[in-house]
Amino acid sequence: MKTSKHLGSTIAITVLGFVIALIIFFPIIWLTFSSFKPRAELFAYPLHLLPSKFNFDYYGSVVNDGLFVYMKNSLFLAVVGTLITVLISASCGYALAIYRKEIPYVNKVFAVFLLGTLIPGEILTIAQFTVVTDIGLYNNIWGCILPVVTTTTGIFMYRQHYMSIPLALAESARIDGASEFMIFRKIMLPLGYSVTVTLTIFSFMWRWNDYILPLMLLSDQSKFTIQIAIKSYIGTMAVDWSSILAASVLSIVPVIVLYMILQKYITGGLAATGVKG
Amino acid sequence: MKKRRKANTAFRHTGAFWLFVLPSLGLFALFFLLPLVLSIWFSFTDFDGWKKMNFIGLKNYTKILKDSSFYLSLGRTFIYTIVNLPFKVAIPLLLAALVTSKKLKGNTAVRTMIYIPVLFSSLVAGITINWMFSQEYGLVNFLLEKMGMTPLEWSLNPTLATVVISVASNWVSAGYYMLLYVGGINNISKELYEAASIDGSGKVNTFFHITVPLLLPTTFIVLLLSTVNLLKEYALIQGITLGGPGTSTTYIVQYIFSQGFDQYKYGYASAAGVLVSIVFIVIAAIQFKMTKGGGEV
Repeated sequence: MKTSKHLGSTIAITVLGFVIALIIFFPIIWLTFSSFKPRAELFAYPLHLLPSKFNFDYYGSVVNDGLFVYMKNSLFLAVVGTLITVLISASCGYALAIYRKEIPYVNKVFAVFLLGTLIPGEILTIAQFTVVTDIGLYNNIWGCILPVVTTTTGIFMYRQHYMSIPLALAESARIDGASEFMIFRKIMLPLGYSVTVTLTIFSFMWRWNDYILPLMLLSDQSKFTIQIAIKSYIGTMAVDWSSILAASVLSIVPVIVLYMILQKYITGGLAATGVKG
Repeated sequence: MKKRRKANTAFRHTGAFWLFVLPSLGLFALFFLLPLVLSIWFSFTDFDGWKKMNFIGLKNYTKILKDSSFYLSLGRTFIYTIVNLPFKVAIPLLLAALVTSKKLKGNTAVRTMIYIPVLFSSLVAGITINWMFSQEYGLVNFLLEKMGMTPLEWSLNPTLATVVISVASNWVSAGYYMLLYVGGINNISKELYEAASIDGSGKVNTFFHITVPLLLPTTFIVLLLSTVNLLKEYALIQGITLGGPGTSTTYIVQYIFSQGFDQYKYGYASAAGVLVSIVFIVIAAIQFKMTKGGGEV
């Protein structure tokens, strides 16, 4: 009696879970199938889930429009931005944690970074734009990278992580004659592995999805990132849905692939940092 | 001798500290602190982003405080934020309860499907949801018609347009906040649940009287994060209504951008930015105070 009731509720919960997950996931399925429909089928009732035949025309046309160039630009932004973010956040968070006992003003330096969480970057965009232009990085992908690589979240994650590592570890390495840089490079950076993985996927995603700075700063079409290219299909006069759908589908592939590869690490990592944060 | 050696190592570590911190601090100073100061400076000038930059005192501020479109977009932003906050908390909380249930088979698949929208850029998330709700030949209207109802004017009616934006905003964030809640639920001791079940507490009762109160710290974080994200909503709307119909979905960040980048009123836009920053900080401070009042974080 009890087991059959248990089985019943297991089935009910599992069915409920998959129904909800499918509802949430469905817009992606709809977007993807729509992107293969010929235009005539896209705008004709009755609607069908599947295209009558898989049509790659619009994928061909967005690629001809330079989609792979835009994706390459986005990839550069995401990979270089992430590399810099991980390196400078790790060293900064490490220093804020490891010297907290011996240097009195460490927490004051940390407080400066916390200012960054108080005011959203969007509000500062106009002044940021002026600074980037004045140092000659207008219409340059580096102008989209350098302003955003410092993230308080990243510094905070590393600081929390290194605070849980006993100071004695660094002390004994010092006695063995290791320099401060060596201790960081050879011992501490590898110990920060879990934070590095989490920050890598998040930073990659943030940079791949960056919108405002690239929109304001990049004027040559050949320098556009994928997001800006998609935005350019939403004209003021007419919306080119076929191109938007195909470009949107292609734009999410790299992030999903990276997520699938690193998925097993982030569930635990993010949950832990999020709640402690 | 010993004392001298200690002084030396302390000096060495100060140098190392600054070297480790410098790359972050330098970039932060150049691209955050400097723009912060510049914004305040611009706000007292008639800077047009090009040549003109005269000190005009508080003129920008007095003009903004008389500008009805500033109040309208700020008011709209507040309403949008307040209406959406309950959903930003309730949906992820219920999803987390679902995916942490031991009775859910195929847990990983369910979690992954719910989480994938989080990977979308705001722009593409907006586009994806907008495509479902498109007025002509959209799936939602098609289904409404099939069920014998009239199709709705999703892009012509201001309220319905706001609904579409809200759906997109929740869609792209629910999975992220769900993971925060999953972390919170995993931290609740199992014994508490066992004790509750021995005392004859039902599942629903346990959820509302044990799970929800113990998740209060997570709820505060979710509230704080989603308030800021709702207040500054921008890219998502660029994939849906572009601020329309009319200006009915033009929120405060778009107002600032259109003043600054479209009309070249950098000074004026900066002043609006300063005012909005103050509003943001006050709201964050109030929420933080309330969090402390809750005594949990």
